[in-house]
Amino acid sequence: MSKQEALGKKPLQILEKIRENLERLNEKIEVMIELQKHGKKDIQTIPETPLDVMTLLSMPDHLRKTAMTLCKLGRATADEIAQQTHRARAVESAYLNQLVIMGYLKKERKGRKAYFYVDREVQGG
Amino acid sequence: MGKIIAVHSYKGGTGKTLLSVNLAATFVQHGKRVCLMDIDFRAPSLYTLLKMGKVEFWLNDYLNGTCEIDKVLVNLSDRIQSNGKLYVGFANPATEAIREMSSKDRKWEMRALGRLLALRNSILNDNGFDYLIFDTSPGLQYSSINAIVASDLVVVATTFDRSDVDGTKRMLHELYDLFEKKTELVLNKVLNDFSSKAMKEEMQSKIKDIYQVPVLGIVPCFCDVLKAEGGIIFANERKTHPFAKILDEIATKIENNMV
Repeated sequence: MSKQEALGKKPLQILEKIRENLERLNEKIEVMIELQKHGKKDIQTIPETPLDVMTLLSMPDHLRKTAMTLCKLGRATADEIAQQTHRARAVESAYLNQLVIMGYLKKERKGRKAYFYVDREVQGG
Repeated sequence: MGKIIAVHSYKGGTGKTLLSVNLAATFVQHGKRVCLMDIDFRAPSLYTLLKMGKVEFWLNDYLNGTCEIDKVLVNLSDRIQSNGKLYVGFANPATEAIREMSSKDRKWEMRALGRLLALRNSILNDNGFDYLIFDTSPGLQYSSINAIVASDLVVVATTFDRSDVDGTKRMLHELYDLFEKKTELVLNKVLNDFSSKAMKEEMQSKIKDIYQVPVLGIVPCFCDVLKAEGGIIFANERKTHPFAKILDEIATKIENNMV
């Protein structure tokens, strides 16, 4: 790669980095909005809480739908969940992040995509 | 794409196992590939009902993660006269096994849910089964709710017993609705006369008013069925019996998504 090509690529990398950071910021804002909407009583952080059927039953309806869909898919992005629930991707992203905060789900980043999953192996003992 | 059916009830003794076995046998008669599983780990009954000998692996082992599902399933297709296939997964009836299953914690139950959900791929998608039927334990047992969550359709067996009616109504709204499950009712052991079409329709309308869910079938209380003490699969051995005919109607409705 010539020096000129390398210099030309750098602004693109910087822009890509800015976009990634903006997306993460957006996710955090979505969670904060949801926290305000539903009140703090629904959002209690319990580390390593098993996502069993009794937990699913006691969840608020809006979170249960997201959690149930993720249980069925095993591992999914907010976009994949939104396709199943027919709700907006941003809404699912906020709910999934809430479930991560509550300790029911795990989140893993692979490139630009964020994957959510139930950590059954570790929690299953 | 196959379908997972959970046969459930509020109270015990409503005829879940009888319905499950005969529904499975009817599907097999229709040429379907069927897998029947005993999810009632507190009171396993399929092992005795189907007069089994030595069983090497149980559903308990599959849920414990010590074996895969193909080791558990027993091919009983030769017991049904048809081109269909019947495979059965048994719950271990030994007292020690029942005690062990009753003492599982929430983390284990969460993993068990994962293994039940995985059956959609292993049984329906990879092995091409048309139906997977879960015979569950009554009420709000962990294993039953896990089976309900993993299913596409919940068939609720109920009777006209007052406490059963009240409990079933509660379960419809506080369990199946919350999980957004398609739910259909089978009213079993009915003593009322509904020999005419008009009486049958009146009864169906009455049940629908009470429960607000579709009625899959109404099964009268047959002395022959009670006398058989679960030892006869009517759908296979007494095909002309009215009980077998009602099961045939129920199976056809499910196959055609008619309710």
